[in-house]
Amino acid sequence: MKSVLVIATRDLKRFWSYRFWLAGQIVMNVADIVIFGLLFNNMINRSLIPDYIKFVTPGILSLALFISSFSIGREVGVELRREVSDYLLSLPVSRVELVLGRFTGGALRGLIYQSGFVVLAMLLVGVPRGYAWLVVIYTSITLSFAMSGLSIALSTVTRDFNLQATIRSVVYYVLFFFSNIFYPPRVIAARFGGFADAVSYSPLSIATSLYRWAFGYTPEVDVVIDSLLLAAWTAVLLLASYFLYLWNLTKKG
Amino acid sequence: MRAVSSRDLVDLLHVIEWDVRKLRRQTLFVAMRTTWFILQVIVFGTSISLLVRSFPGLNYYDFYLLGVFTTLVYSVSIARGYEIADEFDEGIVEYHLALPVKRSTLALGRVLGGSVASFLFTLPMYAFIMFMIRPDNVFYVLVSLVAIYLFSAGVVGLVITVVLSVKSTDATDILMGVIDALLVRLSTVFYPAPIIAKVLPYYYASLANPISSVSDFLRVLFLPEYAVYASLPPQGQVAYIVGLAVGFSYLAIYVISHKLEAGGWR
Repeated sequence: MKSVLVIATRDLKRFWSYRFWLAGQIVMNVADIVIFGLLFNNMINRSLIPDYIKFVTPGILSLALFISSFSIGREVGVELRREVSDYLLSLPVSRVELVLGRFTGGALRGLIYQSGFVVLAMLLVGVPRGYAWLVVIYTSITLSFAMSGLSIALSTVTRDFNLQATIRSVVYYVLFFFSNIFYPPRVIAARFGGFADAVSYSPLSIATSLYRWAFGYTPEVDVVIDSLLLAAWTAVLLLASYFLYLWNLTKKG
Repeated sequence: MRAVSSRDLVDLLHVIEWDVRKLRRQTLFVAMRTTWFILQVIVFGTSISLLVRSFPGLNYYDFYLLGVFTTLVYSVSIARGYEIADEFDEGIVEYHLALPVKRSTLALGRVLGGSVASFLFTLPMYAFIMFMIRPDNVFYVLVSLVAIYLFSAGVVGLVITVVLSVKSTDATDILMGVIDALLVRLSTVFYPAPIIAKVLPYYYASLANPISSVSDFLRVLFLPEYAVYASLPPQGQVAYIVGLAVGFSYLAIYVISHKLEAGGWR
């Protein structure tokens, strides 16, 4: 456990060295909320979404967590190219501790980065009450671990920098577009019919639905089922990422 | 004015060729980028356009298509910066400086080579957009290609200027990310100018933004009825596009010719 924390702390400390990246991300996410509030609200069909800013803010919570947890993948990719990974493998920690440490480091980045947006969501949408707080915390922890693991594993698939960036971008955009962050399921259903069901089962959609419920935007969410589905996604993604990351780190050539 | 010899032109072509040839190794990269672009246009574009209420004479999906293509040209051209920043680590910049090629030739070659490569990279996505828009005038297609190339040259010039001035992979990565995020957001790529005009600071920022000019120019070219939703008159848009290309190409050439030194990247 101590080794896991040491490795996670190392990744967390390095997060602060990207102050400009952090500032840029915060500006981007806040700008998204402000722009959607100021501009898109004037363009939106109110019969579909009465208040777009309240609709999109819980989605931005998912997005903020996703972006920051995913950020660790780029560094892991650079480490692989610069052969820092070989040094990490030679440290006196077990492989399990190494992998868990990296996953925890990425997840902590996500949780810390997202905390400011949680306050913003409280101001813009509503304050979660009692049990709803547990749902917010649970959703954030599970999603951040899932995205951290996925990002780390994907970044080690190839040593080619462009290909690393492309693979991460493709996954990033697939998760981003196939979600309910920016549009409600009935809009997706109107365009793509039954495909909307698949979109509502994506991890970002499930997390966004849970946030929308917890912040009081949507009452009609099955919290238990969605929480179980998110746990299942996290378990599968972490397990797959664990084996993929280790296999890529230790393979020859 | 210095004389340009045939040797200089041959060197220039070699530098351009070096940049463009790298595209051959990026076939998979282009294919993946095209796939996710089409995915974005079909999934995100059609869904979000359904949310937008109707405006007289405006089909938001067509508006979105030309806007999102402009952001694509921009981000692909910006991506050249990551490659140039990567060349620090691999010592390629120093190798280039050691070549028996004039600095000005090398500089011009990198700007032209980078922009030609970016332009070629975006052509599959351009073809897809044209398939969706179905233009009825081939001349406008040619004009739009010239505008896209000039825009790409301006952005590549901007990237080279920043990368070779900052001299750090990480700092470049971060700086370009911030510039990318702000420029794309503070523009008319996704919002018509009359809507933006309701927030004056945003409106003035978008007017000064070259990305607005390019996206609006493409819209006015292919969908003339959208002129009422543009930020500037077409002459102003053209002036911005040409100004960006000439200004940043010159800056890039100046940085490479006068400021760049081998070694000491840190």
